Amino acid sequence: MASKRSSFGKDTGLQARMVFTMFMLGLVYVAFIGVLFALGAQAGVIVVVAVVLLVAQLFGSDKMALAALKVKEVSPAEEPELHGIIDRLCVQADLAKPRVCVMESPMPNAFAMGRSRKSTTVCATRGILELLSPAELEGVMGHELTHVINRDVMVMTLASFFATLAALIMQFAFFFGGGYGNREEEEDIMIVVLVSAIVYALSFLLLRALSRYREYAADRGSAVLTGRPSALASALLKISGTMQRVPKEDLRVAEGMSAFFIIPARAKDSLMNIFADHPPLEKRLAALERLESQLQSAA
Amino acid sequence: MSLRDALTGRHQVKGPAPDRLFAISTAYITLSSEHQIEPAGTAAIVFQALATSEFETTLREMEELVRATGAESGTSVTTEDDSFGYRWMILRNPEGAPSVEDLAVGINAVSSSIETAGHGERLLCAVFAFIDASKRKVYFIYNYKRGFWYPFVPDPSGPQQRLTERELQIKAQMASEIPIEPEIERWFPLWGIPI
Repeated sequence: MASKRSSFGKDTGLQARMVFTMFMLGLVYVAFIGVLFALGAQAGVIVVVAVVLLVAQLFGSDKMALAALKVKEVSPAEEPELHGIIDRLCVQADLAKPRVCVMESPMPNAFAMGRSRKSTTVCATRGILELLSPAELEGVMGHELTHVINRDVMVMTLASFFATLAALIMQFAFFFGGGYGNREEEEDIMIVVLVSAIVYALSFLLLRALSRYREYAADRGSAVLTGRPSALASALLKISGTMQRVPKEDLRVAEGMSAFFIIPARAKDSLMNIFADHPPLEKRLAALERLESQLQSAA
Repeated sequence: MSLRDALTGRHQVKGPAPDRLFAISTAYITLSSEHQIEPAGTAAIVFQALATSEFETTLREMEELVRATGAESGTSVTTEDDSFGYRWMILRNPEGAPSVEDLAVGINAVSSSIETAGHGERLLCAVFAFIDASKRKVYFIYNYKRGFWYPFVPDPSGPQQRLTERELQIKAQMASEIPIEPEIERWFPLWGIPI
């Protein structure tokens, strides 16, 4: 905002949609808390469990995921090109350098992890390093570093807190619910379960929408950072082109991690866009094309 | 970065920090007289060259300007793109007459015309080359986003190796002369510097 003039216009629409989604999430959550308190069910215990889970997720999930994915930290001597790209982008973004890792997988992909700017890891697969040109790789790394700058892991973890809580309540109720207490108490539990289910369903859809908007924002951030929107577009095309041709085993292993990847690890398009955590490729390409034409006509 | 920016995922690329480029044009005297680190007569400015006709025009005009101002001091200008797609504009003093002041004036002319054209956020860094007593290259890198300098001494014996000990010595020697980047994790290397 500070710069007097920018090569790229503002994307007010994207910001508005993001804020609206977060507002709706908040609304669902506030209603949820209200019902929990009104019923005074054993909500206290569940909330404590959920808070513990949240903290564990914030502080431990990146380490667990990195261990599960078998990524390896690489030195500048081992991966001079990747380090060179990230060094330059870090100067450009005024960011401390993250840990740089490589995952020995033929599937072309990249992701960033870590709850804060201080403890971040960016990871590229062997496949993406071999597939992309330096400029395209820079676009992808710019996308990942924008996730870091926007604190997307933190935002998404916090935003999904109540969804986690609702899921927990449903599980509790299925395992321990029923068979004790009086009729009134059972009715209360049924209401809590029902409300939890609704909260879970609504927040699931809203979270997916939020995730898609964060992806657009990261694409945009990458374009602004590198000044080369078309390089990222070309990278996305290349990556998605090879995505369909890679062995199935890798896809299944990586499926659980798809939210962190630049392009989700799925062989086919999702059934419905509303359930997808990444926007469809055509829409991302169209957004990047708009940025490129803004850049070209900035004079 | 504000909470609001984090929530909306809005992020602007930072423009240049307050200019402390000219600190080098006094610091080099101490470097030379007390630490036997002599100017190599070359400097370069590194930036992202936008692939737009408007930016190319700015660059052409700027190059002409630097050539014209450099004509009397004999400073020559060349440009090259590195493998990462960044553009290096390299300034060279005439043979046998290194002048850090002339180079700093030239680099400043380039950076200010890029800023005037509204592309200040594309500036990455400026690099000044020196040679120490044991004939090793010592670089002083100016980070435009931060407004700080840091030394960079590549190890000639191997690729992607740097002599951190030497860099820390230089930091200790020069900290009072030139604003040195306080966060050492931001002493980003530049491998394969063409000067």
